[in-house]
Amino acid sequence: MRATVSKRIGIFHPQGFIDGNNAPTFLTLDDLHATENLNVDMVLISLKKVIFFNRNGLDIFVKALTGLRSKMHIVVGFCDYDSKKYQAILKFYGNNLNFSLFRTQKIAELFASSNKEGKKTVLLYHEDPSQRSAMAIELFDYGHNAIVAQSQSEFNEKKQNKDAFDVIVDETYLGMIGQKVATRVTGNAIIYTVSNFLDAEITDNFNISYHNNSLNVGFRLFIFDAYKVISMNIHALNFFARLSASAAEYNATICFVGLTFEKTPESFKNDLEDAGIMFFEQMDDILKDKELLAELGASSAAAIKSKRSLNKVIVNELPRFIDATVNTIEMMTNAKATKEAASVQPLTLANKENQVASSIGFYGDLDGMVILVFPQAIAKKTCEILIGEEAEDDEAILDAMAEFVNIIGGRVKALLSEYKISVDITLPRTYQSVDDLFEVVQDKRGVQVDLKFDEDKFIFFLTR
Amino acid sequence: MITEEDVQHYIERIPPSPAILKQTLSFVNEGELTKAASEAEGDMALQAYLKKLVNRPIYGFRTEVSDIHQIFGILGINGAQQVLYNYMLSLLSPSKWELFHLDAVSFQDLQAHLSRKWHKILTHLSIDNKDIESAITLLPASIIICEALFKSKQDEVNLLRTTSSLDYNTILKRLSGKDLFEICETIALTWEMPPVVINIIHSASGLHPDEDPAIDSLGQWMHLLLFYELSNSTSIEAGLNDFIDFQVEYVADIYEPFMALMEIE
Repeated sequence: MRATVSKRIGIFHPQGFIDGNNAPTFLTLDDLHATENLNVDMVLISLKKVIFFNRNGLDIFVKALTGLRSKMHIVVGFCDYDSKKYQAILKFYGNNLNFSLFRTQKIAELFASSNKEGKKTVLLYHEDPSQRSAMAIELFDYGHNAIVAQSQSEFNEKKQNKDAFDVIVDETYLGMIGQKVATRVTGNAIIYTVSNFLDAEITDNFNISYHNNSLNVGFRLFIFDAYKVISMNIHALNFFARLSASAAEYNATICFVGLTFEKTPESFKNDLEDAGIMFFEQMDDILKDKELLAELGASSAAAIKSKRSLNKVIVNELPRFIDATVNTIEMMTNAKATKEAASVQPLTLANKENQVASSIGFYGDLDGMVILVFPQAIAKKTCEILIGEEAEDDEAILDAMAEFVNIIGGRVKALLSEYKISVDITLPRTYQSVDDLFEVVQDKRGVQVDLKFDEDKFIFFLTR
Repeated sequence: MITEEDVQHYIERIPPSPAILKQTLSFVNEGELTKAASEAEGDMALQAYLKKLVNRPIYGFRTEVSDIHQIFGILGINGAQQVLYNYMLSLLSPSKWELFHLDAVSFQDLQAHLSRKWHKILTHLSIDNKDIESAITLLPASIIICEALFKSKQDEVNLLRTTSSLDYNTILKRLSGKDLFEICETIALTWEMPPVVINIIHSASGLHPDEDPAIDSLGQWMHLLLFYELSNSTSIEAGLNDFIDFQVEYVADIYEPFMALMEIE
């Protein structure tokens, strides 16, 4: 069984009965090996479609999951269960619970380190005060507003007011959490949360691939939320200085917010400032100052590192990229596509109205970005197969678009791996308006292919 | 990927049941087991199937049973009808499985396991009805149809499943408007299977509860039995565990008695 991947969470979906005999068949060594190659922050097993499990079966799953955690430094555990299953797991493992439990996938998403969702208001309760605090801290780190109920009765009372909360977190448990630096996206800025003592380990815990790719796809402002940093040593200083130097190539800015220098040498601040890093006391000093945001590059993605052009490898692979994309769209819409034109040019759209766009980057042996521009009608059609009904609201359409471009990205990755070209794909990005997309691509040249599905036009754009 | 026309084309190619088989079934329905056995002797493939089937360990015979009349005698009317329908289904199964890691033997094993356990359930429910007993035979047709429709679409389905845990049945329904169980019903109609078989299968999909509580209850038992079988290692390895969506809530009422009956602790 292979894990599905959405929003950087890998989830296995076994169905039926789980015991010591069949559990190893659900998660074979091949499945685990394939999971190790996924670029995810969390691996979970969904118990939604499981009607029976026993301790032997879960033990095998837990062993497999903890093995993945030690190799991938990610959060592992179970999700999608009801109260009965939650109680059964607590009874099986008691105080030896070293994995996480998320009542729903939506709750799990709140705790994924590369959280791309906006700020959520979360009602939270756990009978153990230390769990309550741990969850509240994590949620805060990921940019959410956690309201912690201190007792079951307070929780019951508060949760009556459902409209007041985006998500209600209960029957959830944080086991050993991943060691990656928490990442979230706010508008066009990326916020990393760092804490405690920063030393050489930052090199391992910071997802440099994600950061580099964020630069590639057009993010220009990176903020380190450092309120909880006690101190840093010379290794961490060097790391941040290097990071800033590489960001400068893209005219990107790196800021620290809330960092104090009580236990960190004041000279470090000067060194970091010399490297181009800026310091602010409060997050709002940046995020609520539109002029400053514009100055720091977070209102657009105008400045691009030295102009890049398509290279030979990408161009040679182009027909396959296009075929893969067209096949996927045909599959999702059950419609036939015809190719109208293909040329190397900056992205050009005849019609910007009622269009949605999504992009996904790939990086590694080869860097590039696939951009898709759809009429809303096609976008709605692709939603039908993914969510089973025609989506009307923009959020559902954009979500489906993100899944769709994710599928395309996966296909590109598989395609290149056939040629021993190893790439990783980024989180998909969606653009509600085409203008937002143009802020990222600017006048970048790429291969534009105009396609036609019935009467709907569709654009595939591949660039670096 | 799969269009309404593809599904229609598949349905049109479902062959009618062979004449000898039809006559054998007719004798079984009249309670004429001797005549049925004699008729069955005219079909070598049917004979071979029956011999192989009843000599499987799950039937528990110590010595090999090879005489066709003896086989019909052992099976009785209910069992004979069930086995004949199983044979009919096996005529639809592919010579080479591509989507699921199955072969003729493992598919027949699955049929045999489902049939024996269904018999156990009906005994527990004090139901003695040959048509209801035979209803289980149509369930594996969903696997055969899935294989036929999706075997050349594996890459597309796998791709779709990289981000979403969609089962084949859901994909088919969203693309063609028909699900696997609805196609099963068409097969049952083509082969003139009793209406109760169609109703139980419809309900056993877990997606269309029957208005008749008795039929619906049988549908629940069958749905849970299917997932019990699809949870064994052989089925998981064959890729069958998630070929359709398990409706956990649908079987909640019969979960406890099922666990007790199957002696699951």
